[in-house]
Amino acid sequence: MVQNCTEYAEAARNRGLHVVGICCEYTPRELILAAGGVPVCLCGGSQATIPPAEDDLPANLCPLIKSTYGYHLTKENPLLEMAELIVAETTCDGKKKMYELLAESRALHVLELPQKPGDPDAAAHWRAEVGKLARTLEERFETEITRERLREAVRLMNRDRSLHRRLARLMRRDRPPLTGRHLLCFQTLVAGIPEDHAAMEAFLAEHEGREPEETGGGAPVRVLLTGVPLPHGAERVLDLIEEGGGLVVCMENCTGLKPILEDVDDEAPDLLQAVADKYFHLPCSVMTRNETRLSLLEELAREYRAECIIELVWQACLTYDVESVHVRRLAERMGLPYLMIQTDYSPADSARIAVRVEALFETVESRRPAAVER
Amino acid sequence: MITAGIDAGSRAIKVVLLGDGDGDPLAETVGPQGIDQEARATWLCEKALEEAGLSASDVARVVATGYGRKKVPFAHRTITEITCHARGIRRLVPEARTIIEIGGQDSKLIRLDGRGAVRDFAMNDRCAAGTGRFLEMVANRFDVCLSELGDLAVRSKNPAVISSMCVVFAETEIIGLLAAGAPPEDIVGGVQHAIATRVAALGGRRVAGPVVFTGGVAMIPGMDRALEGVLDQPVTVAPRPQFTGALGAALLAREPGA
Repeated sequence: MVQNCTEYAEAARNRGLHVVGICCEYTPRELILAAGGVPVCLCGGSQATIPPAEDDLPANLCPLIKSTYGYHLTKENPLLEMAELIVAETTCDGKKKMYELLAESRALHVLELPQKPGDPDAAAHWRAEVGKLARTLEERFETEITRERLREAVRLMNRDRSLHRRLARLMRRDRPPLTGRHLLCFQTLVAGIPEDHAAMEAFLAEHEGREPEETGGGAPVRVLLTGVPLPHGAERVLDLIEEGGGLVVCMENCTGLKPILEDVDDEAPDLLQAVADKYFHLPCSVMTRNETRLSLLEELAREYRAECIIELVWQACLTYDVESVHVRRLAERMGLPYLMIQTDYSPADSARIAVRVEALFETVESRRPAAVER
Repeated sequence: MITAGIDAGSRAIKVVLLGDGDGDPLAETVGPQGIDQEARATWLCEKALEEAGLSASDVARVVATGYGRKKVPFAHRTITEITCHARGIRRLVPEARTIIEIGGQDSKLIRLDGRGAVRDFAMNDRCAAGTGRFLEMVANRFDVCLSELGDLAVRSKNPAVISSMCVVFAETEIIGLLAAGAPPEDIVGGVQHAIATRVAALGGRRVAGPVVFTGGVAMIPGMDRALEGVLDQPVTVAPRPQFTGALGAALLAREPGA
């Protein structure tokens, strides 16, 4: 689904729409759509763009940040080159400072995220930030985000999220009709492309409400994958998990369920407020405290009947790295084997990751009722 | 039923032939690893069969483990070193609750539950820090073999501080210490302490005893004492530690599904 994104963005630009780059799931795509924009995801997932990025950025920085910045230097990401504006955000410090370098030659608007979602002032601050983004878009594109346009955008995004959610829920079955890798292929860099929606509808029509027949053979180990997102090109760990005998039944990350669980109320009297509310609830590790992520993980582990939790942390991603302590404790409390994998985009450690993943699965299998009876 | 366990490690291949019951292995063989792993593993198996007075057709099941486990064509199944070491130790030291295994390029800390099954584990990720390869580098630097290296370490009265855990950086650090006149035994003692610290850190703050030390590096004198110092509790070296993984593989080969 990624293949048609550039084509779609180009065609949209030729129709007079504005390509707007986004780098985080906190960025409300609804506002960009309502301002006549096409939101495109710029997160880098390529090892190839990291060496050029290290001319400016430290080696010991998250590969996602470096890869994204590498595309900026090499100008090899057509979506970034088409973007008239980039909407950035103050998630982690690494991204924040990288954006300053992007802004030297590209138009950039920074959303400031509140860091304490439990603080009484936080929601109002975020609402103001969302309002400022709306004004930036209106001024830059000389347009007006009317209630009607915003509602239309909200409905499009609700539909997009709902389709992805329904696909993800197919994984709750004993024998899901797709793998985690296959599910991730429905991810796209541009949300709401009609052909993508049609493809998802078609897949759902074929598989929803129908349990596939037993195929026999050993059941793969059901994995809940959490931690950092898997941008396009950086699916290596997911592949290692599924090649090693696992099935990623649930991805609680920004390229999985996290950003699509909540919709925006399209009938809300203050639509901008409703949009702000939805994004305010995202359980990101940059927030303190981030207890919602833990309760969500617990719920998802039960709902998807996970047999173990694997946490992926990109090298030097401090917030997910530290927060993994809480996830490990949760897994222990739930009696689920837990494995944390810290890596970057280079394949150098693939063999070692495979050993750890396989050993984890052997542990899971030894605990299955049939094995314990032996 | 006669089974075979083959541990194709990064530096050595180990073979264990096991008969029925709880008796000692029928044969054990070990040889260096190389690019022709398949031929080497085959030869070591033949040698083990010869020692035991058996032929290949007497062996019912073969399980391969170790980093080269996928490249043992006559194995019926592959199982990771983590599960195999745990199984081997369950046979040899059933009361163990923590296994520290240091091999050629890996170091692992495996926590066991009350049944001796794997509870969880941690291992070094990208580099050879805290592994046999690290000690080999040091041995080369002092122009001694690995066992002599251990004899040096036990003589150390005042282990040097080695802070680099990268093999390449540590070598530079050792050259610096030598230039500053530090006695070789103290440098080697410092290296062992550094490896022990690194491996113990895999276990976090609490490492439950009894602790068993296994893998090829457990054969090097002084390493067990270095671990005891860092963990502040007794560390038992597994009997014939180089063969624990292969023994576990041979034991697992008996089980259904293997």
